[in-house]
Amino acid sequence: MRNGKETLNYILKRLVLMIFTFLVIFVISFILIRLLPLDAATGVGKDPDTFYNMQVALGRMVKANDGTYHKTPVFEQLGAFIKQLFAPNTYKTTDGVVHTTSRWGYSWNISWLSAPDKLLVKQLPPTIIINIYSIIVSVPIGLALGTFMALEKNKWPDNVLSVLIMVLISVPSFVYAFLLQYFFAYVLKILPPLRADFDGNWFSLDMFKSMILPVVSMSFGSIAGYARYTRAELTEVLTSDFMLLARTKGLSRAQATIRHAFRNSLVPIFPMILGEILSILSGSIIIENIFAVNGVGGLFLQSIQMKDYDVFQFVSMFYIAIGLVGGLVVDVSYGLVDPRIRMGGGKA
Amino acid sequence: MESKKLYDVESKIPQEEFKLMHEEASIHDTKFETRAVGWFEDSVKRFARNKASVVGAIIIAIFVLMAIIVPIFSPYNHVKKSDFVNGYQDKTYSGVLPKLFNNAGGFWDGTQVVSVGETEYKLRLFSDANDPYLINPEKFVRKEQKVTETSTIVTYKGRVDTYAVGVRELNLTDSTEYQRILDYEAAKGISYATNPGKSILKPLRDIEAYLDYDGPFEKWAEANGLVVNDDWSRVDNMKDAIRNFYNQRQYVYYKVIPSMRDGKYVDTKFEAYIEEGKTEPEAIYMKDSSGNLVFEETNNGLESIRIDYRAYYRFRYGFDPVFVFGANLQGQDIFLRLSLGAQFSLMLGIAISAVNFIIGLVYGAVSGYYGGKIDLIMERITDIISNVPTIIIMTIAQIQLTGNLQLKNALGPAGTIILALLLAFVFNGWVGVAGTTRMQFYRFKGQEYVLASRTLGANDRRLIFKHILPNAAGTLVTSSVLMIPGVIFSESSLSYLGIINFETSGICSVGALLAEGQQAGIATYPHVLLFPAIAISLLMISFNLFGNGLRDAFNTTLRGSEE
Repeated sequence: MRNGKETLNYILKRLVLMIFTFLVIFVISFILIRLLPLDAATGVGKDPDTFYNMQVALGRMVKANDGTYHKTPVFEQLGAFIKQLFAPNTYKTTDGVVHTTSRWGYSWNISWLSAPDKLLVKQLPPTIIINIYSIIVSVPIGLALGTFMALEKNKWPDNVLSVLIMVLISVPSFVYAFLLQYFFAYVLKILPPLRADFDGNWFSLDMFKSMILPVVSMSFGSIAGYARYTRAELTEVLTSDFMLLARTKGLSRAQATIRHAFRNSLVPIFPMILGEILSILSGSIIIENIFAVNGVGGLFLQSIQMKDYDVFQFVSMFYIAIGLVGGLVVDVSYGLVDPRIRMGGGKA
Repeated sequence: MESKKLYDVESKIPQEEFKLMHEEASIHDTKFETRAVGWFEDSVKRFARNKASVVGAIIIAIFVLMAIIVPIFSPYNHVKKSDFVNGYQDKTYSGVLPKLFNNAGGFWDGTQVVSVGETEYKLRLFSDANDPYLINPEKFVRKEQKVTETSTIVTYKGRVDTYAVGVRELNLTDSTEYQRILDYEAAKGISYATNPGKSILKPLRDIEAYLDYDGPFEKWAEANGLVVNDDWSRVDNMKDAIRNFYNQRQYVYYKVIPSMRDGKYVDTKFEAYIEEGKTEPEAIYMKDSSGNLVFEETNNGLESIRIDYRAYYRFRYGFDPVFVFGANLQGQDIFLRLSLGAQFSLMLGIAISAVNFIIGLVYGAVSGYYGGKIDLIMERITDIISNVPTIIIMTIAQIQLTGNLQLKNALGPAGTIILALLLAFVFNGWVGVAGTTRMQFYRFKGQEYVLASRTLGANDRRLIFKHILPNAAGTLVTSSVLMIPGVIFSESSLSYLGIINFETSGICSVGALLAEGQQAGIATYPHVLLFPAIAISLLMISFNLFGNGLRDAFNTTLRGSEE
């Protein structure tokens, strides 16, 4: 990283590329989703007439002269969608009141005529809270374990922990989710098996207790990942020349490790943590499913199971955007925390 | 010191005898005496030295063997198609526990400790089935739990045999079957007359005789004050309830009377009627005019018998119902399903990895070898593709394909799902291999030996296939082996979540088994989930160990470093 201008240029370049990538993915998935067969929603309180009227208002269907509805071609739908984003259409309900349509379409099956963005915002809190707890738990433990292992390298504690970490990384997180749920919730009965119902306070004791199991099962993998990474980085740093210099100028082993080695080993780990912090928005679908967390992952799953394509599209795009931004942030932060890495440098 | 010429030292040898040793022989390089170790042999050697990887390889081998052998030898996989149209399943044994041993005191023998309600406990005390449901009923611990001020619930806690499904009534569809059962019993020496504790057939019950007008039950009711002012309506209602009760509990072969609660008879709960001075209730077996027990009866063209279900099962299918990993809620053998699931998952993993490997290799090789603008454009494409989550592609592919009737008719439901899976996993699965290949090509294409070869006039094809690819082979093989557990993991997560829907296709994968276990409920049937979960964990661990071992083995720079 030479100077601020270069950095800014690089970030801008990456940003433009990211937006381009996002748009291409968006168009592809838009087309694929709109090609799926569309059936009128059925169920209590849902009527096909409103469904079709809304589809016409959203520019997805046209009413033929004989009263039947037909899908408009996919590319026209894409045009209509983009127009809709900036200037939403209006429609009249039977009582003559004029409404504006939602920019992102509607949920038809999960929650009749709710806007997908509002649904998503409503489901965000549990996902975010659980992920933040998980980060608070896993980062310090992971770093501490990794440091311990690096200092005890190739002695028995390191060997035992290495095996344990290998197992933790290999075993799918839902397996320990099941085991934890079975033992702590059903055999010992000391923790609730599912997330408590929302009673107006996300930080009540009941809510906290019910979030322990999902948080722990999410943290295992992260802890193992951080520990392994920290161990690898730290063992490399500990053998480097500047550590020898630090020791020869009179620092104790602890001083040298904390002030010099640990800080340096954090350089590649910090972007990792940053990426994880960003992914708190997306959450883990499978853990949310096991513990009935009812967060973003649950919404995504519901939208697939109930074939609620507008919600599916919105949440998918949300996931893709988070993935792209996460990648960008990690890449940029690498350069920011480690000046030796020249971002966007040539291949030589 | 005085200097001497060399031959002066040997001056004792006469001049004419002095001869140079190798005067005739030409000196040149000789072959190594030791055996040459090739690249592959060296890799195998280094792999074998890594104990953890060898263990991983062995576990994988066991899974592969299980996937091949169990479906061949499992009796559940060879039941008659006429008995089970969709493969073996017997809901009678729904959710029974894993059983490997007989009467092992609770370890892996299909028994479990449960709390049985008082009514159930007292009814189960007497049975004419071959195996007792309650194991050592006298050892059951009585427990009283106060629900409200006045009422308490009594439960008995002890060990029960989940396989003891007891006696059932059966309507025969095949008119020769009754005779065949008799012949079978005679051949085995287990007919009811000689060996009632082993027989298949049990005497039919004569419920109507017991509940008859002026029959034993009415007499009992009258004697116990249930008929007030000649009003029989309560007794009639009770009789209907008893009829119902006998139909639901086909193992109850004895006289029952209403239970007492707080000094009053409860009209809907029944218990065994033990006459004074006796220890056992009196059976209500059907008898013909000459007083013999009746085992078979034809009513309105329906031929019905009463059988001990486990003995009948042995007669009908030729093997014992023993489920090593237990049975799921549909009564299917989890061991067999797990083997079939491992078979499918492994095959899927290998097939998808192979396809991804080939696509990624070609793509990465072109991108890495030519570099420059081509590389830039190809990188953008992989960037876009790799950022689309598999879950989205899977959903769209599955809905699109399964909605296509033409395709469904051509491939069948299983084929359609597999095609959707292939599409979804290949869509961005090859990106990883392409990236690795590209990196390897960048690494090797600038090296001196490639330059030398190019200077000697080698064309692109020769450079790629003869010089660069062999060097990259180790890394590429490792990354494609490590892709197999990745595919298995994604598949199982997605089918666990129900995004991959195998229901109509008859395929079972490890993920589908996990979903089944979750539906069964881990609180009541933990074993349905436990075994698939253990299997997938073992597969993941062993594949990772194996892959790490491969990576070290193929890394030629490590050669000789550990010796």
